[in-house]
Amino acid sequence: MSGTPAAAPPLRLVGVSVSYGARTALRKIDLSVRSGEFVALAGPNGSGKTTLLRTVLGFVTPNAGRVELFGDALESLSILERARRVAWLPQEESPRDDVRLIDYVLYGRYAFHGLLEGDSEEDYRLGHSILEQVGLADRADDGLLSISGGERQRAVLARALAQTTPLLLLDEPTSHLDIGHQLDLLARVRDLAHRREVTVVAALHDLNLAARFADRIVVLSRGRCVADGPPSEILSEGLLAQVWGVVADLRREPRTGMPYLIAHHLTTAPRRPGSGTGFGPVHVVGGGGAGAPYLRTFADDGYSLSVGALHLLDTDAEVAEALLIRGPIEAPFAPLGPEVRERHRALLAVARAIAVAPFVVGPSNLANLEDLLPYVRTTPSFLVSRPSIAERDFTGGRATQVYQQLREAGAREVTGMEEIVRELRALSSGPPTSSA
Amino acid sequence: MVPLAWLVVAILIVSGIGIAGAAVYFATTASGATSGNLTITDDLGHRVTLPYDPARVVVLGPSIMDSMYRLGLRSHVVGVDCYAPAFGGLSSDYSPDQIARWNLSSSMCIQAEPTFDFEALLAATPQVVLAATFVPAGALQEITDTFRIPVVVLQPPTLSGIEIDVSLLARIFGVTAGANALNTQLATELYNATVVGANASSFPTVLVTYYVDANGYWTFGPGTFGQSLIELAGGSSIAANAAFEYPELSGEQVLVANPHYLVYATGFGLNESAYTSAPFWGQLSAVQSGNLTGMDSSWLTEADPTMILSGLPALLAFFHPSSLP
Amino acid sequence: MRLRRSSPWALLGAIVAIVAVAVTLSSFLGTVFIPPLTALRLLLGLPNACAGTSVSPDLCTRWGEIVWQARLPEIVLAVIAGAALGISGATLQGTFRNPLADPFLLGISSGGTIGAAIVFDFHVGQVAPDLFLPLFAFIGAIATGVAILAVAVSRYGTVETLLLTGVALASLLSAVLALLLLYNPSGSQQVSYWLLGSLGNASWPVDGIAVGVLLITGTLLSLFGRELNLMQLGGDVARSAGVDVRRVRIRLILLASLTTGVAVAFTGIIGFVGLVSPHVVRRIAGTDYRYVLPGSALVGAVFLLGARDFALLVYPTSLLPIGIFTAFFGAPFFIYLLFRRRAGSPMGSL
Repeated sequence: MSGTPAAAPPLRLVGVSVSYGARTALRKIDLSVRSGEFVALAGPNGSGKTTLLRTVLGFVTPNAGRVELFGDALESLSILERARRVAWLPQEESPRDDVRLIDYVLYGRYAFHGLLEGDSEEDYRLGHSILEQVGLADRADDGLLSISGGERQRAVLARALAQTTPLLLLDEPTSHLDIGHQLDLLARVRDLAHRREVTVVAALHDLNLAARFADRIVVLSRGRCVADGPPSEILSEGLLAQVWGVVADLRREPRTGMPYLIAHHLTTAPRRPGSGTGFGPVHVVGGGGAGAPYLRTFADDGYSLSVGALHLLDTDAEVAEALLIRGPIEAPFAPLGPEVRERHRALLAVARAIAVAPFVVGPSNLANLEDLLPYVRTTPSFLVSRPSIAERDFTGGRATQVYQQLREAGAREVTGMEEIVRELRALSSGPPTSSA
Repeated sequence: MVPLAWLVVAILIVSGIGIAGAAVYFATTASGATSGNLTITDDLGHRVTLPYDPARVVVLGPSIMDSMYRLGLRSHVVGVDCYAPAFGGLSSDYSPDQIARWNLSSSMCIQAEPTFDFEALLAATPQVVLAATFVPAGALQEITDTFRIPVVVLQPPTLSGIEIDVSLLARIFGVTAGANALNTQLATELYNATVVGANASSFPTVLVTYYVDANGYWTFGPGTFGQSLIELAGGSSIAANAAFEYPELSGEQVLVANPHYLVYATGFGLNESAYTSAPFWGQLSAVQSGNLTGMDSSWLTEADPTMILSGLPALLAFFHPSSLP
Repeated sequence: MRLRRSSPWALLGAIVAIVAVAVTLSSFLGTVFIPPLTALRLLLGLPNACAGTSVSPDLCTRWGEIVWQARLPEIVLAVIAGAALGISGATLQGTFRNPLADPFLLGISSGGTIGAAIVFDFHVGQVAPDLFLPLFAFIGAIATGVAILAVAVSRYGTVETLLLTGVALASLLSAVLALLLLYNPSGSQQVSYWLLGSLGNASWPVDGIAVGVLLITGTLLSLFGRELNLMQLGGDVARSAGVDVRRVRIRLILLASLTTGVAVAFTGIIGFVGLVSPHVVRRIAGTDYRYVLPGSALVGAVFLLGARDFALLVYPTSLLPIGIFTAFFGAPFFIYLLFRRRAGSPMGSL
């Protein structure tokens, strides 16, 4: 007897615990989401955000507790019935087939089709209107593999929206997007949520994004719910220190009054034992914002960091400064001078690992690459190769040559962040090497 | 969505009906008889009704061809077994000697295995098919069931069965006098061999090989015609207790058994030089002492009158030279 | 704004037309030469079919039998076996999200061979070899499919473990086969011939059984296009969209095993049809499994029939194992497809 469906909360968790073998991922979570709410799940990596979403989707069976969708126990619903109530936007969906966008979006109509039914005119109309809502109306006949990463994530959103469910789950939907696309995607989701009364639960590791878009933030830490409320009420410097272990300034945006954070440095010992403890310095070479995600992630993971030469007012320079990371600074747009390069080489000499972000190389910062040459022979080095150097080489091929030399000297090519994170973990957990 | 169990049951029922239907089809059509004026029982025990003295016959098996020729029935034969011309044609199943003697031409060629060429068989418009058992049973069944051509299987179970098959051919074609003469010859040779065997003080150890490779010597094992032939000729095969019907003895096994006599089959492209590369060939005492001889493989491998009229006396003379008249 | 692609009925009509033309042309080819016009008249059952030729009435009757009892059953078997292998290949590639999956890679064909080898080696069911050989081959193929399913229903049943289980099973089965061949070398010629595939066992009853099974399994398989489309995006995505991935996987593997089983039972192992056909369809009609599944059946049928016709054109009286020709064309064509695929597109969308 669950009352009228309208009255029942779209999502309710009662005392839900989940463990993977010996590791407990969620401990006695109680959560009730109201209709039409945009709830952000926040928390550091490994705090249980994704596990919570996967539990709601039925991918993970809880050891204890109850999950209810619109008043009905999750396990009493068939997979088909679940798909009519809740849709999911995964962290990353890597399509392999170059299917037309409109066809791809209509894949989401699966739960509404009979065995022999084809896609109806109505389905196509719905598909086109959803594509319009996510801003892809003119790409309906294009192949899924021919569009950009930002567009693709919107296409995936469109496929999830085609399920026309009253509840939408998002798992770090923006982690692979640049800042413009991040804002765009979340703005669209919030807009849809408010206009179509869709309830949204999104795992977001970026607190500023969470604070900006969510009606309510639920903070998880080591599988527990440690805070729950509107952004302006729950975000505090104390919470930041307790959950993320960072010292941060909490400010309010003058125009909207929204809280936002500027994190400074780690409070004490890193939160997660074993990951990055005492390892470093890890030297990050970037520029133009390409290095920022690397700096943030490595700082999150507790590595001590240094950065390559950067220009004043460069995004990466500001991020580095906010994170209190040392690095040589050159005047805006000037080629790197001998003093700056000298300081860069000094940092390289003591680095335990070098990560080269996929930054755009021009005449003014080419020296950043050239200075690496002697050091990659002895220090584990990682060159991010996506996008390829050829696409960001504005030095008439010189940068590509240097990349090749770096590779020959022993630097490893990697496709992205995850690979470096893995490698660093392996390096830091390996036998300690004595460095002078 | 169709429930899984339901789906499986449906499929099994339909396949069951299909298979049962096929079984019924085979069972009913096999018993359907064409009009003819002669009914015989062939070597598989099948009762076959066929026209008396058929003028157009397809022969699938050199051993049957041998009997047909000896009974003067060559002119009745309109097709014989073979591989396709690109893969050996007639010479795949018949020795050059047989092709010449029996006047076989490649236009008579009907591929019998591994894939049976039904089109070639039908185009030869035979009234009867005489077949040995190397022809796939399924193909023979289709010839009788689908194309309604009577098939007589001639595969003697023992050496004396060769006489029975000669008699059977005599009934089909009405050549009783010729058959009696041939059977008398066969009986004489078999009798001679029995006498020699009874008088022999001991059976010498022998190896009769029809093919060699880098590993060893292929020969006849228990229960084969080759083995019966060797025994009848007063030889004790070193493969008499082999595990397989057509075993390959390793070079080491042959060296240890060290047979007193060695016979190798020739024809089909094999001559003595092909055998000399076999393992331990030069070390075998039969080779060193010259107690070896080559013999046409059609004398040794085909269960037909030639085996008894040529193969048996040749082996007798080789194993027991002193006891022959 | 394009709303729909083509109607399914137009598609079905095109398939029937293409197969009908291929079948008619194929009936002109055989080991015995029959003038094409005469063959056509015989095919249509017209009276005085042999008028204008100098053949005797007796031979003309035999020609009629050649067309209707020797050629057509073989042609129909080629169509059925080709379609069965094509649609099985497409199903398995989709189920395992792997462009290399086909009945052979997963050991389903090898299972059928073991069944056949048991019949050859132990002289099982000699009373009715035409019945027992396909029956045992069929059982062998299904048993392998069920063994893979056993993994699918366990909690370790990810796509990867399933695929690797299939590959491991295939190796195990070939070891068993080698042992069987050593045990009885006299069966080895028959088995090795079986391994190359052949249409020589064709007859109307055989075709009847095969058509019956394929009509059911093929129709059911074609209904899984939507599920396969979603499963290409990953098991979790498919599940979140309403696909009961585990159940669907079990059904697909079972149906593909049945379909492969009926082809293997009557033709032995014919390689490359199951692997290549889905890739050809993807090049022509795109990656939507609602089209890839029936399309692969069509391409498989035409491919196998074409291989038969080519074999007869090159070696008119040889009746070579058909598997030689499918591999002969399939392998180079597959490599050609690999090189022609658009730069940057992943393997899955060849």
